[in-house]
Amino acid sequence: MAITAGVVLAGGRSSRMGTPKAALEWHGSTLLRRTAGILARVTNGPVVVVRAPGQDLPPLPEGTLITDDPREGKGPVQGIAAGLAALRGRADIAFISSTDMPFLHPAFARRVLRVLEDSETTDVALPLARGFRQPLAAAYRVSLAEAAERLVAEDRLRPAFLFGQCTVETLDDAALKQDPVLGALDPDLDSVLNVNTLADYQAARARPAPEVTVQLFGTLAKAGGQSGPHAVRAATVGDAAGALGLLLDRHVTAALNGDQITRDSETPLATGDTVLFLSADAGG
Amino acid sequence: MTAGGYFGQALIVDAGTGASAALPLPDEVLRAYIGGSGLGAWLLHELGTPGADALDATAPLAFVFSPLVGTPLTTSAKFAVVAKSPLTGMLTDALASSQFAIAGKLTGHDAIVIRGRATELAVLLVDGGQTRLLPARHLAAMTAAETDAKLRHDLGRGWRVAAIGPAGERGVRYATISHDGRHAGRGGLGAVMGAKNLKAIAVRSAAKVATADPASVLRAARDLRERSFGPATAKYRELGTLANLLTFNAISALPTRNFQAASFDGAGRLAQQPPDETVEGMRRVARSSCASCTIGCEHIYRVGRGKKARVEYENVFALGPMCGVSDPDAVLSASARCDELGIDTISAGGTIAWAMECAQRDLIDAPWLRFGDPAALLRVLDEIGTRGTPLGVLLGEGSRQASRTVGGDSASFAPHVKGLEMPGYEPRTLHAMALGLAVNARGADHNRSGAYEADLSGDLDRLGGGDAHVVAAIETEDRAAIMDSLILCKFLRGVFTDPFGEWAALLASVTGWDVTDSELRATARRIVLAKRVYNIREGWQPSDDWLPDRLLNEPLTLPSGRVATLTAERLRAMIDAYYQKRGLDLAGRPLPGIADEGLAVGHG
Repeated sequence: MAITAGVVLAGGRSSRMGTPKAALEWHGSTLLRRTAGILARVTNGPVVVVRAPGQDLPPLPEGTLITDDPREGKGPVQGIAAGLAALRGRADIAFISSTDMPFLHPAFARRVLRVLEDSETTDVALPLARGFRQPLAAAYRVSLAEAAERLVAEDRLRPAFLFGQCTVETLDDAALKQDPVLGALDPDLDSVLNVNTLADYQAARARPAPEVTVQLFGTLAKAGGQSGPHAVRAATVGDAAGALGLLLDRHVTAALNGDQITRDSETPLATGDTVLFLSADAGG
Repeated sequence: MTAGGYFGQALIVDAGTGASAALPLPDEVLRAYIGGSGLGAWLLHELGTPGADALDATAPLAFVFSPLVGTPLTTSAKFAVVAKSPLTGMLTDALASSQFAIAGKLTGHDAIVIRGRATELAVLLVDGGQTRLLPARHLAAMTAAETDAKLRHDLGRGWRVAAIGPAGERGVRYATISHDGRHAGRGGLGAVMGAKNLKAIAVRSAAKVATADPASVLRAARDLRERSFGPATAKYRELGTLANLLTFNAISALPTRNFQAASFDGAGRLAQQPPDETVEGMRRVARSSCASCTIGCEHIYRVGRGKKARVEYENVFALGPMCGVSDPDAVLSASARCDELGIDTISAGGTIAWAMECAQRDLIDAPWLRFGDPAALLRVLDEIGTRGTPLGVLLGEGSRQASRTVGGDSASFAPHVKGLEMPGYEPRTLHAMALGLAVNARGADHNRSGAYEADLSGDLDRLGGGDAHVVAAIETEDRAAIMDSLILCKFLRGVFTDPFGEWAALLASVTGWDVTDSELRATARRIVLAKRVYNIREGWQPSDDWLPDRLLNEPLTLPSGRVATLTAERLRAMIDAYYQKRGLDLAGRPLPGIADEGLAVGHG
């Protein structure tokens, strides 16, 4: 089984926004925390944040790796090279994302990663979503690190140069939405919407938090077995707990979609998620 | 001078004659092994004949008490029954709670060890230091509860009884020993007692035991009692362990149809129904508690106007989802039938589920034995408990031995470790627990290894077993070793914020020893090691620390889309790391010096 990883490019000058995008708040979290958390949910390997030298970062999920982009201002290929280089020996495939996509859905990243997981020859899975190529919402083989570094050294900084040196599978809207989960949960492919300007950001903030389903188990359900499902709007596990008057403490944990169990209230949620709150003393 | 909480002696009884003698237990042995499970392991080392069969007349059957028994500390009325298991050929130690613990200890002994074989079915009476045998032919084939009632009626006030049911008399290898409706359930201790021709042991108090610092013990008891009413025990108090059923189902940790799935579409039918629901299902009608317990985890259920039964997660899992049965009435009836026959519900359910799969694959000729068929479940239970048919005899051997008889590829899906059937924790989605189950001395056991706690804590990735899981598995194994030796109920474990420190303080106030948390940690390692060394002596092989092939070769796909897989490589890596951290060599045997150093205390 391939080891999959996430890379979030948190550097960049955010010149049109006027303030570092990584730290912008969205429904109680930061854009960077949210993106890193979404990628942590869909990968079985590490998540790397690529930052500018000395850049202050908002709090990140435990275990997130941080690497410095040695040459700031070189653009996305430099970030891709730095991220992939940090994953050498740690992963086979990486979903690389910018930090400014608050609607990035786990199903989108999973759909794109699956192209490389299922292929031995494809090096890049490149979405062509909402009419644009999306090199910063794409999957790359970690083995491309060297080629990317070489391009940076040659000052050939457009992603197209990298794509010209490897095998790329392009995924248009229809191909992306062949995944029924993605088609159902992100039909407009809002996953690739990024916020570049203050107006973009304000529009993103005006959108409600994702609609998720919450169920309670054990003593939390009081009646005995299970309570719910309850539909709530929440961008994080902590918000979902709060919506039902729960506090995540040593006696309460959350299982996302019946899968990962966490006490981290900042764990990001996406449309369609189910959060199961459990008594921490589950077991005999 | 004997430490507080102890009598400093064990009673060694010859079941062949009814005669007995006291065996002094030196202070350093008691301090090194405490009581219960730990002291039981030491007694087996000392008194067992190496290599002797578990059902041999010479095999010791030890009822082991602890320094806390008889104190006002909540949940302390517990004892361990320890013997070589006829199911695994290795050490088994089942704990149970009841007044038998108090009366047994107050016979004036820290343990009662039975060897030999009565010439006919008998009851062993232990009245203080006096022992004798009573003929018990009139009790043959009675349930343990009937035997208990009959003996207490005949013997009069003050007697407490532990008895076996028909399955123990007939040598079912996972028969239990029962008392006050509770069971020393796992590993076939009832068969060991049956092999001694003992239907029951009845004990009566004759002594008192003092603690070193009664005022301190009383303070600790009050404090612990208060804490036992808090959130850490809420599940047990308010719901009982049956609450696990829907939780485990939701997180794909509920073994279903002999581990062919990890969630069960009939789980909702088997869960307790809220009071205002009218749909069919189990309804809780009463709650009670063990002797000296303030938690009160016993929840009595019934279906409709049907029979009431004490229900816990493990018996519902084993007789329900594991066998594909979603009819709550059938599961309650099957559970009650196991109690009447005196067999372990987990091993019964696991062995039957394996047989259902064998029947499905035409490996055994029992086309009626189908997953999900309530009538088949009840029929086969009777055949096992009475050993009334060839199939019943086969399945009474447990899934490991039965798979050797049936052959084919049936061993690959026999749900056991070391011969002990798996409890209701799916190893592919609980990787710390996978390690705990594989390396545990008793076999597939959720009581001596509570590593599922780490998997469910959110502190590590339950699907990505690695070093953190190894550390967690060792920690829970060590904690269990102390709790099972003190003995305190593990349902109390969540109330301790500094477990080893608090347990050391409790033990110090009872015994007068200057015991510390670090000493208790060393004691835990010693007890875990003692069990491993005993097993090695009795023929343990490195391949015994492993899981069934199915769990390593058949991944599960979770509702999230994630694939849960526990490969042989991952399990091997965790076991290797466990061995290294435990001071064992790559084959799982103690490194030179470790065994001698750890076990030297008290050995002649």
